[in-house]
Amino acid sequence: MILSFPNMGPNWVAFKTLFEALDPSIKVILPDPTNREAIKVGVKYSPEFVCFPFKATLGDFVNVIKKGADTLVMAIDCGPCRFGFYHAVQERLLHDMGYKNVRLIPLDQADLLEFHWVKTLQEVSGKSGLFSYPKFVKAVIFFLKKAKLLQDIQTAEGLFRAYERNQGDTTDVLNNILIKLDQTNTLKELRNFKKVIKEDFNKIDVDKTRTPLRVAIFGEIHISLEPYVNVDIRRKLGEMGVEIHQNLSLWDWVSHKFHLNFHRRWLEHLSHPYVPMDIGGECQWVLGEYIDRAKSGFSGACHVYPFTCMPEVTARTIITNKLKKMYDLPIIFFSFDENYSYEGMRTRLEAFVDLIESRRKHKLGIERISYEEEKNNFYKSNGSHFFQECIQLIQT
Amino acid sequence: MKIVQVSDKVVKEDGKLDAFLGIDIGSVTCKFVLMDMDGNVLESVFLRNRGSPIESAKAGMEDLRLKIEQNEQIQEYAIRCCGTTGSARYLTKAIVGGDLAKTEIIAHAVATQSLYPDVSTILEIGGQDSKIIILRDGIIVDFAMNSVCAAGTGSFLDHQASRLGIPIEQFGDYAIRSKNPVSIAGRCTVFAESDMIHKQNAGYTKEDIIAGLCDSLVRNYMNNLSKGKELAEPIVFQGGVSYNKGIIEAFERHLGCEVIVPKYNVLMGALGMAILVRDYYLDHATETLFRGLDVGDIEFKTSTFHCGDCPNNCEIVQVKMPQDENKVIARWGSRCGKWEVF
Repeated sequence: MILSFPNMGPNWVAFKTLFEALDPSIKVILPDPTNREAIKVGVKYSPEFVCFPFKATLGDFVNVIKKGADTLVMAIDCGPCRFGFYHAVQERLLHDMGYKNVRLIPLDQADLLEFHWVKTLQEVSGKSGLFSYPKFVKAVIFFLKKAKLLQDIQTAEGLFRAYERNQGDTTDVLNNILIKLDQTNTLKELRNFKKVIKEDFNKIDVDKTRTPLRVAIFGEIHISLEPYVNVDIRRKLGEMGVEIHQNLSLWDWVSHKFHLNFHRRWLEHLSHPYVPMDIGGECQWVLGEYIDRAKSGFSGACHVYPFTCMPEVTARTIITNKLKKMYDLPIIFFSFDENYSYEGMRTRLEAFVDLIESRRKHKLGIERISYEEEKNNFYKSNGSHFFQECIQLIQT
Repeated sequence: MKIVQVSDKVVKEDGKLDAFLGIDIGSVTCKFVLMDMDGNVLESVFLRNRGSPIESAKAGMEDLRLKIEQNEQIQEYAIRCCGTTGSARYLTKAIVGGDLAKTEIIAHAVATQSLYPDVSTILEIGGQDSKIIILRDGIIVDFAMNSVCAAGTGSFLDHQASRLGIPIEQFGDYAIRSKNPVSIAGRCTVFAESDMIHKQNAGYTKEDIIAGLCDSLVRNYMNNLSKGKELAEPIVFQGGVSYNKGIIEAFERHLGCEVIVPKYNVLMGALGMAILVRDYYLDHATETLFRGLDVGDIEFKTSTFHCGDCPNNCEIVQVKMPQDENKVIARWGSRCGKWEVF
């Protein structure tokens, strides 16, 4: 069986290990990194007003079918927004295109504690019952470990890029470390992998005297994780000397679906007065995150979402009309679709960076504290344990 | 962003006074402003674009050189630094040897603040884009640019004026003469145009149609850009469209307050850039990269090629200088950014 799944940034590492560990007979191949050709195909066969991730993932499917895949896995959700229909519609579209022998297996992630995903694993491996149980456990543990490590890599990348002396170093380290993580296949090595991440990022030549701006990125999960569709906004902002903070990752989402993500519960609490329930997309958490980031001393925020995404547009309207007046955190919105080009984005990003820079200067002038002090205050009171370790690396 | 006030004229070793050049090459026109240390405009050039930004930059520099040659007072000044803005800022920076490239949003805000220090709202409508900038206590707190639609920008008005057979300069006068503006669907240029043709054929006067068009464009601008933003006074309106009295009046009607149009309404971007580059010069005091006013004589060659290293197949643009051993002075267009580093 040749199995594949669509692109979502660096998360192929985790999904690859999940399916490879299930059974030696499963061969996993990856779609090409999302590119113009794949998007063109996706757009051609999709309904016009569907969200952009639908088109991008459909393009990936076609690409990978041409490379020989016969089984595709797609996440589904019986969620309130259109994501709930992705799998069913994409399967029909692929059949209509003439790819009749392709199976599209849904991976139910609506509530991972309901264990629908076990059925997917059983279907993929072709085994059921107790026999395959240890393998399932191994596969899931590997998946979770790698997903967590991917989040750590994302944290380090966002921080180090703002300090790098030679532009592009962090991107090189990132690409290498993803391959390294992909090749790590024992539990022991995975346990030590954090050290590897730290060592690799520590090789970057950093200028520790800098006082970068801090921008939080949040929004729809596929858009904010897949660098092609978001025009690599993390790198573009990072290379302007901005620290990128992004909670959103595969691990963040999966742990949320296992009811273990208390950070998200906190965000839900913060956004409760405005949106009291999950209305799809990341609406609830975007609002929560905006409030949370505003309170913890960020310079700015960036909200990315697909064009025509209902939940995210709802969040945007609540932020512009209500929250912005209350919390006063500058925010910039980007809605992406296949027509989005970098030129328009660059002007807006540059203007946004100038805006938050001058605001910070003004604010610090009033409060009479130096950039250095502000930076240290922020680092002391924010970020995960791993983030703190990264700061130690930069400052020593 | 604070504007440094320098009153003493400092004479440098070469016996000349400091001057700063700001260049704003937009989608339709290009603007050049030569400014002295105190922020006075010494000379300016305003031209319609000629084909490519390279040619526009050269033509503008040529014009500027001629103007300077005719004016002995300006010959006492030497250009210490040069900054570029507008949609072609990076290309222009490479061509003329700019020291700084900034977005037009910042440039406009800085220029307006230098003339009206307490400005709270800036409305700007240019050839192809329109923006709104909100300032409070002298700092920019918010901005918006038109994202999807060019309805209500200069090019559209230009097109409609030529379709109605009136010179664009008189467009505003026609609007002011109207007593009963007709209502025009301004949500989209295509709809606006068909609505106008319909009204024309129904026999409405040109004056009423033009006044209606101005109204609907202002409505469209407000809906698109000022969503949820608080527009406080003083409001400054600039950009090419601010020559149009009809639009000014429509804005005043819509906002219910006075709208100020600055003296250098079309030059604001270039003026802002000159101010920014002066502050940059005062902060850094570096040697300028400026190639001099005779840039018009230097030959530049642009070429494009497809990268082909990945399926994206990006189109890379590069600018070469044949006089300087075909040196590549600028290159961009790749998604991954690898061509931009050399």
